[in-house]
Amino acid sequence: MKTINFGLAIMMACAVSVPALAQDKPVAGEVAEGSLKGKTLTFVSYGGIYQDGQVAALQDFVQKSGVTLLNDGPTETAKLQAQVESGNVSWDVVDTADLPPYVHCGTLFQKLDFSKLDISKIPEGQVGECSVPAMNYGVVLMYKNETYKDNPPTSWKDFFDTEKFPGVRAIDGSGDPVGGLIEQGFIAAGGDVKAMTADDIEKGIEKIRALGPDTIYWKTGAESQQLAESGEADMVMMWTGRAMTAVKNGAQYTPVWQDWLVVMDQMTIPVGVKDPDASYALINAYLGKAAQEILTEKTSYTPINLDSKPKVDDATAAFLTNTPERIKQGFQQNIPFWVKNFDLASEKWSALLSGN
Amino acid sequence: MSALPQTDNQTAGERAAARRLNLRDAGWLAAPAVLLLAAVLVYPLAIIVLRSFTEPEPGLQNYIWFFGSSVNMAVLQRTFVLSGWVTLASLICAYPYAYAMTVVGKNLRLILILCVLVPFWLSGVVRTLAWVILLQDSGVINSFLRGLGLSPVKLIRTQLGVVIGMTQVLLPFMILPIYSVMKGIDTRLLQAARSLGAKPWRAFLQIYVPLSLPGIYAGAIIVFILSLGFYITPALLGGPRSTMLSSLVQNQVLSLLNWGRGGAMGVVLLVATFILLAIAAPLMRQKHTQTRREK
Repeated sequence: MKTINFGLAIMMACAVSVPALAQDKPVAGEVAEGSLKGKTLTFVSYGGIYQDGQVAALQDFVQKSGVTLLNDGPTETAKLQAQVESGNVSWDVVDTADLPPYVHCGTLFQKLDFSKLDISKIPEGQVGECSVPAMNYGVVLMYKNETYKDNPPTSWKDFFDTEKFPGVRAIDGSGDPVGGLIEQGFIAAGGDVKAMTADDIEKGIEKIRALGPDTIYWKTGAESQQLAESGEADMVMMWTGRAMTAVKNGAQYTPVWQDWLVVMDQMTIPVGVKDPDASYALINAYLGKAAQEILTEKTSYTPINLDSKPKVDDATAAFLTNTPERIKQGFQQNIPFWVKNFDLASEKWSALLSGN
Repeated sequence: MSALPQTDNQTAGERAAARRLNLRDAGWLAAPAVLLLAAVLVYPLAIIVLRSFTEPEPGLQNYIWFFGSSVNMAVLQRTFVLSGWVTLASLICAYPYAYAMTVVGKNLRLILILCVLVPFWLSGVVRTLAWVILLQDSGVINSFLRGLGLSPVKLIRTQLGVVIGMTQVLLPFMILPIYSVMKGIDTRLLQAARSLGAKPWRAFLQIYVPLSLPGIYAGAIIVFILSLGFYITPALLGGPRSTMLSSLVQNQVLSLLNWGRGGAMGVVLLVATFILLAIAAPLMRQKHTQTRREK
């Protein structure tokens, strides 16, 4: 990772030392036999094979603890807000995107008590005050082999260089601003990303706008995959899961791993849940080695337990992001910066996406 | 009282009383629908309006923000312009189709009605994705053009693509009202005009078209209003330059949790729709009475 988040690292170190004081230190993946008998937990995520995989990963937890696990989704922060405001929270554990647990920490999502979770096997820098990672994935630049042949792009700088690398670009326009891409745009515009200020957001976005009117802003992961499989775009910014599926389906595209954007889903506990300890137990079980292996085998997302050794085919393995090489190449967006400037960035991003 | 209406020995007064009673019964019959509407439409709508004036603090801030932002104004204008194009395109497609439905034989008419109704049975998302396959650069239409040696046209992620997709989705809402009016037009009026020496096109333009106007108004208003709130079709078939207001509402509420601003946008759209209805309603009433008189 290029940007190490020192605040988070320090907090993590503190959090790790806390369990020593607790009576019985939790171990990731373990749950006491029959401890949640008669209780019900509602787990909320994004549906599809992802949530199916998460439920499969939690099967052992369900059997041992005796809990009844209900599923709901998709995650929408607005829905959660409505629940918290009405004082009737029915979501016990919620899988969210990168930033919401940081933006709404303490208001919608509980500040986590790390004596109740074993976070010792989570990769460095990924634990927040209100969240632990649910899985890792990345955003990669995929280029069309046929277009660039012997002179392919090798970085985001090339992605923004339409003179040296002409062709149609496709960008993630599915929702929230993609901080990592704006940062890369700012770098391509000659900026120093470590000294980035709120005013520089516009500079980064201007670089994206300069890609021209042919630029495609895809709305769903499926659409990005379809763009690659039909060859509609020459360079596509893609989630690794979708990139892998496109390649498996025959898309003649190659990933550029230099500065791939690190992304993760987050596991959170909403403010006002009826039985927080049961929520903690679920998350702690989810973080276990075996649970994470099942998750990866079912979904192809990267596990967040460092000990996990999932059995996957070569095509899936090629897109996992936790090898030493990938970790070195990854680019971590500046989370505190984007949390602080979330409204401004959203406003500008929304203007970009509506053609203004 | 006998349920059989208007037997010979009923007086006019009794018949009127029976009618009034029916009216009161009708009020009760409407109760479930009214209650449902109050619960799922009026109440949430009231909350949306309220929040647009009270969040994050009481005042007009959300409306000042809305009308002060050039992005919002551009998208609002675009929403109306695109809806206008969709309405026009629907009318051009629907009018001859509805006319054909009135002149063909019984079996063929059944098939034509089925063709109108089938899209109702498919999810809008499915239909829109089918359009993606047809319209994309490597899609069916452009492959066909290339096959003929013609240069491909840019359809997807353009306003044209959005208008095509939305027109197909909304076409039934234009065809059905026009058809229901056309069905009632007495074609002997056209024969009368012809017999008095009018050329066919003149008889059509001066007799038939005015008589079908109520259907056109009704269809156009329904299509236009539905277009204003469209979300999924512009999102999938359009590009940045065809974003409509609903996408911005979604962004404000779902990703920024700014219910006040999202509410204000919804209220602006709603008020604009009401104004439009207020302008169109007298026009429609006038045309209706005119039709009856002419008949």
